[in-house]
Amino acid sequence: MSCDSVSKLIPLYFYGEVTPEEEDQVDQHVHECAACAAELEQQRAMAAAFDRRQAVIPPALLEECREDLMAAIAGGAPRQVKAVKGPWKLFLEAMSDTVAGFGRMRQPVGAVLLVLVGFLAARFTGVSGGSVSGVATNNAAMLSGSHIPVVREVKAEGDGTVRIQFDRREEVSGRLEDRNIRDLILAGSREGDPAVRVESVSLMKSHVDSSEFLDSLLNALTQDPNDGVRLKALDALKPMSGDSRVIKALSQVLLADTNPAVRMQAIDLMVTRHDDSLVGVLENVMQREDNSGVRSKASKILKDWNASIGTF
Amino acid sequence: MSPQVDTLIRAAQRGDQDAFEQLVRTYDQSVLRLAMNLLRSPEDARDVYQEAFLRVYRNLHSFRFDCSFHTWLYRIVTNICLDQLRKRKVRKEETAVVETSEGPIDRMESYEEEAAEANPERSMWNRELKQRIESALVGLTPRERMVFELRHYQGLRLRNIGEMLGTTEEAAKNCLFRATQKMRGVLGDFI
Repeated sequence: MSCDSVSKLIPLYFYGEVTPEEEDQVDQHVHECAACAAELEQQRAMAAAFDRRQAVIPPALLEECREDLMAAIAGGAPRQVKAVKGPWKLFLEAMSDTVAGFGRMRQPVGAVLLVLVGFLAARFTGVSGGSVSGVATNNAAMLSGSHIPVVREVKAEGDGTVRIQFDRREEVSGRLEDRNIRDLILAGSREGDPAVRVESVSLMKSHVDSSEFLDSLLNALTQDPNDGVRLKALDALKPMSGDSRVIKALSQVLLADTNPAVRMQAIDLMVTRHDDSLVGVLENVMQREDNSGVRSKASKILKDWNASIGTF
Repeated sequence: MSPQVDTLIRAAQRGDQDAFEQLVRTYDQSVLRLAMNLLRSPEDARDVYQEAFLRVYRNLHSFRFDCSFHTWLYRIVTNICLDQLRKRKVRKEETAVVETSEGPIDRMESYEEEAAEANPERSMWNRELKQRIESALVGLTPRERMVFELRHYQGLRLRNIGEMLGTTEEAAKNCLFRATQKMRGVLGDFI
């Protein structure tokens, strides 16, 4: 293959978009041709420079977009800042709504009133597990029994506490040692909103030795569809890199994750210490990996460990 | 397409608003990231988000499961983004600092942070690299920019990118090659 042909293939080779035959030809050529090897290196450097140019998404933007969209679909005006309504106002509004439709809605209205009475009774008589703001909430009651909270936002505060918004307008803050806070973070790690999952998973890092957090992180690492969440899970698992379950999950990620950046970080985490039992996994990577960067990293580690990279 | 997404689409097609909202939440972060990366403006990204998902909402009934929902959605999103990029080409403008609800942010924030910590020579080098990267991107056609964005940042396969842009895998390959050559021309002696 001539230098000209290889030069045309280098960008596609870098992105893993060449056929296995073309890949072999490029590999062979750059091994023997210093000019083309330098061109490939330049391609890698250029890609790395672009990697650092990722746009920063302002944290509130996603939520604002969602609110605007739902308002537009409902036929309403774009998002407006909502005034916080007190519990008494909410109750009065509910009452006025129910009275207005009382004639034809007698039975449902009765049910709504009963729920309201129960709701208010629970709110004004319960105990509290953390400091609660917004609409006063007995979060112990909210989280007990069969109620599964919908976590809206998780935010680490500077003083080591965590502030969590959940359900419609509840907010709670407390430390990770608090049972309710931990339950909400675990619920956050299973939310539909990837931003909430990312934040929840990140917070688990400081308590990764807890078995429930470890389980959740392993689940996020191997199952979460969002690349950002999986990368955060990898980061959070760093202190546990020697744990056998973590190593097993990392092996799985190396062979199955669709994102090369995740696979690359999985290798980094996996080989923080020399372990002969990982040689087979890395050899498997060499056999199946289609990303040249990941292959090159696995190859380098195998060489450093004096292991064979050509057993397949 | 995962069975869960499939179920959400069918429910949303029957008018289930919650299902539609969940469907949006499954994909909207990557849509917003694509728009932000391409347009470098929260306001423009917000417009793309709104227009794209409203089109999805209005046309979901016509989705027949003959391609993945992701591909179908990205056809809509990439069309809107391409229109925006073409308009910008005409206006020949692209802002470096963008206004957000949390104050102005530099679109090259990561470079600025690094530069602040580094020595003066490194800082100057970073500024130069930043300018060259912007020049390299401005030199791409909207379509080249889109293919590069989808392949490099979103990690999509060229086969899928071709499908989204209504072209072939081969054409997407050529586009990526041209984009890379142009960018190497601008950045080549610097990296």
